[in-house]
Amino acid sequence: MSFFGFDTTLPRDRKVVPGFSSQHDAFAGLEGGAADDNALEFEDTYDGLGDQLSDADDALNDDTFGEQPATQAGVGRDFDFASRTARVADAMQEEQMIYHARHGINKPQAPPPVQYQPAKTGYENYADASYIPRLEADAALWGIPPKAAEAPREQPGPAAARKMMSLEEVEAMMRQQSVHTTQQPAPQSIAPEPVPHHQQQFQPPGPPPPQFSGPPQVLQRPHPQQPGFLPPIQQAIPHDARSFHERPPMQAELPGQGVQHPQILQRPKQAPEPSNQRQQPRQRPPPQQARASPQPRQILQNPNRLSGQGQPVQQPRPSDAAGQRVPTGPAHQRGPSYSGPIITNPQQILQLSDEERKAYLIEEAKRAKRNHKIHMLSKDNGLMTPQDKNFITRIQLQQLMASIGNLDEAGSPEAIISDDFYYQVYAQIRGAARAHPGQPASQFAQTYLFQTGGRYGFGRRGRQGNADNHIQRMEQQVARAVEAAKAKPKNKQLVIEGSLGKISFSNAKTPKPLLNIKPAALHHAEARPGSAQGGKDPHGSVKDEATERRKVLKDLETVYETLMAMEDHDRRMPPPLTEESSADLIQAMMEWRHRLGQLNKKLWNGLRVMEPIVPGSPIPHPFILLVNHGKGMKALGRVFRHIDDNQRLTITTLTLINLDHLRVIQHGVPPPNSTTLPQPIKDEIDLFTATINPLLFAVFHDSPLNVVVGLLGLIVERTTIPWLARTKIGTSILTLLVSRAEVLREALVAQQAAQMLPAESLEQQLPDLAAYRDTYTKLFAALEPALPFLFGGFGHPAKTETGDDVHVWQFLACIGAAADPGQQQRLVLGVKDRVMETVGVARSLPGEEGEKRLHKVNLFMRGLGLDVELLS
Amino acid sequence: MSDTEDASAPQSEPLDLVRLCLDEIVFVRLRGDRELKGRLHAYDSHCNLVLGDVQETIYIVEDEEEDEEGTVRTVNKQSEMLFVRGDSVVLISPQGQP
Repeated sequence: MSFFGFDTTLPRDRKVVPGFSSQHDAFAGLEGGAADDNALEFEDTYDGLGDQLSDADDALNDDTFGEQPATQAGVGRDFDFASRTARVADAMQEEQMIYHARHGINKPQAPPPVQYQPAKTGYENYADASYIPRLEADAALWGIPPKAAEAPREQPGPAAARKMMSLEEVEAMMRQQSVHTTQQPAPQSIAPEPVPHHQQQFQPPGPPPPQFSGPPQVLQRPHPQQPGFLPPIQQAIPHDARSFHERPPMQAELPGQGVQHPQILQRPKQAPEPSNQRQQPRQRPPPQQARASPQPRQILQNPNRLSGQGQPVQQPRPSDAAGQRVPTGPAHQRGPSYSGPIITNPQQILQLSDEERKAYLIEEAKRAKRNHKIHMLSKDNGLMTPQDKNFITRIQLQQLMASIGNLDEAGSPEAIISDDFYYQVYAQIRGAARAHPGQPASQFAQTYLFQTGGRYGFGRRGRQGNADNHIQRMEQQVARAVEAAKAKPKNKQLVIEGSLGKISFSNAKTPKPLLNIKPAALHHAEARPGSAQGGKDPHGSVKDEATERRKVLKDLETVYETLMAMEDHDRRMPPPLTEESSADLIQAMMEWRHRLGQLNKKLWNGLRVMEPIVPGSPIPHPFILLVNHGKGMKALGRVFRHIDDNQRLTITTLTLINLDHLRVIQHGVPPPNSTTLPQPIKDEIDLFTATINPLLFAVFHDSPLNVVVGLLGLIVERTTIPWLARTKIGTSILTLLVSRAEVLREALVAQQAAQMLPAESLEQQLPDLAAYRDTYTKLFAALEPALPFLFGGFGHPAKTETGDDVHVWQFLACIGAAADPGQQQRLVLGVKDRVMETVGVARSLPGEEGEKRLHKVNLFMRGLGLDVELLS
Repeated sequence: MSDTEDASAPQSEPLDLVRLCLDEIVFVRLRGDRELKGRLHAYDSHCNLVLGDVQETIYIVEDEEEDEEGTVRTVNKQSEMLFVRGDSVVLISPQGQP
């Protein structure tokens, strides 16, 4: 049948049929020989059916196959696919009928139909093993030549079919595999396919690495089959399959085929092994890069034709032809790896040298790989914004930090919270001592940050690389944050130059201080120099006053606290030491005394006695400020019990020097428009009299004459005597001092008179007496102008009536007693008016009241050595 | 000097200011329109106060007539010593010297 078809189509195919792949050429040559031999017979037997079939469709040939050089064999066209055969289906049916009918009847006549029929049924009958033998039997009737022609004829059929398959693309095969298997299953292709595969697998040395499966297959296929014509055909098929992968049109391939032809023709004759070797050099490059290259290549090519995944699987198919029966596994693996590199540039590859090819393939593979990656990644481009990425990164880091903790300390109670990154930071900021009892707080940061501790030790050891990098980065950030947190509280305030206020920082540890109370010392340092100038600046002084007061109150509280501590400490005094006191007791006593000394020092500092005295300063000495407070006065009495004589004397001296600054003296004189003191001042004076005076008296009482005289001299020098003398406190103190000095002097004089004192002692005392005399003279001189004003409301009746002037009379008496005769005269002159007035008032007053007044006057009179009675 | 100052100075807290008013005359406003003025003898963290020589002033709004807004009448009481429960204290102010 192919015979007939071949004959008829031959002229047309030469010109019409477009170039099929190389096998056609090879065949054409063979056919040509066969046709020449049998042409006559052919014509004779020809029944014309063939013309009918082909003529109708001649016009379409060009469309279907395109133009082809005349050299191309038309052999394959008849076998070409269903489209063509379907059109002639009717005729074929008829022929078949005829064939069957004639076959058994007439052999000589039968041949044409016989030949014709096989052409149609040939496809289906290939499956039958018996078919070919029968053909041979038929051919035998015609003689050898036809047989020779027939054999090739038969082969081309399937070969063409396969070729057509390859032309129609792999797609068609894949989609219609079932169809192909039924229609086209070329007996050779099915049978040979499995065989080569197996061979390849089983031949360890023979075939090149699996990647080369393609070419090896081609080469090996012939071996199982007939060595004669088949190999070229087989060879062509793989080529076609390869050509699919590449877009280059058929024409482009033609020149390449020309090159191949000789090889193909030679192959059958050559031993399979050599051919393999020949191929190998060509294919070498791919194997070396095989790993990388094939995969990407396919992927790159896939988008054009097939889905990505399908491709690798399907790729092998074309080369494998009917691969369904073939164990797919190996074939598939080989297919892709092989096809990739080769397909790219079939012609070029052939022409290239090994090195070039290798280089090219490698480069190609790289490029393909990269492109593939880019392609795969590019579809998700722009899905996430940078913020999203940051967010994800943060989450991941947190999880990283959190997850690491889980590995080690699962058992510890703090494991749950300590795993939390935020907890770590929180604990660090808030002070981690409590959170991690086992670690010193100061060490925590380092432990946490530098993994010196055991916390992350286990987890970290297990993880390295990226995890560590992240952690370290995290640690650095945390470290910075912690440092910032630590550094902040140090500068609680920021005073910007030129700004009116301060900027306060606050954090959890140190809340923003709304009230800014400076430490007293600091304030002093500031206030003192400021106050020196502050006299000119009223605002400044006012402000100072307020802050000063608060500071003083605070100092007082400190003093009281210390006092209470000292009093409490007194109660804890260990029993007095004796000879047989135990060591413990002695030790306790030592400690007690040490503690006492500490407290004393603290108290002394708190009293601020030792602060420098600034003569002429409008700001009173700090200690005076304390004493100016009622609390200070009250405290002083308790203070005196806890300080030694020196300290007491120091306090006394300090007080006397600054008498002018005492409120009770500053405000001790009634305002000009009033005869009486304001009640608060009165209260203060009373308080002072009740608290301080006894202390002073005690000090004076314990002091020798020289000290008393010294104190008196200080008062005279440093205070305003006239003003002092007009105040109750001032007169009281002066009275105390002068009377004490007078007592001492009299005692001294008495002793001197009685000769009771040793001469040296007297000699010692004499300078004191002289000093006292000088001092008193100064005092009296200073006092004399103020004598008329000693009584508050001079000559004011109300004042006189109040009778609140005992201290004045006492003072006068004291002064008078100490005065020498000349001074007494001046004294009397100074107060005579007041005396006479008082006496007069007293005389006018009935009974007891008058007596009182007279008695007071008499105090003074007696001091002068006189008596009230004398006045009358 | 200054170091002992720092050492002795307790951490500042609001009641430390009240402490400075100890034995001073303070002005205390209470709930119920009452005011106290007296010498602060003692206090505690609840602002319970012990005052001496207290003058208590009670402001009473008398709305006898509807048309009138009502006149404020003050009642003064003098107490030698007074304990003030802290929950009624609205404010404590150092009176300062007159």
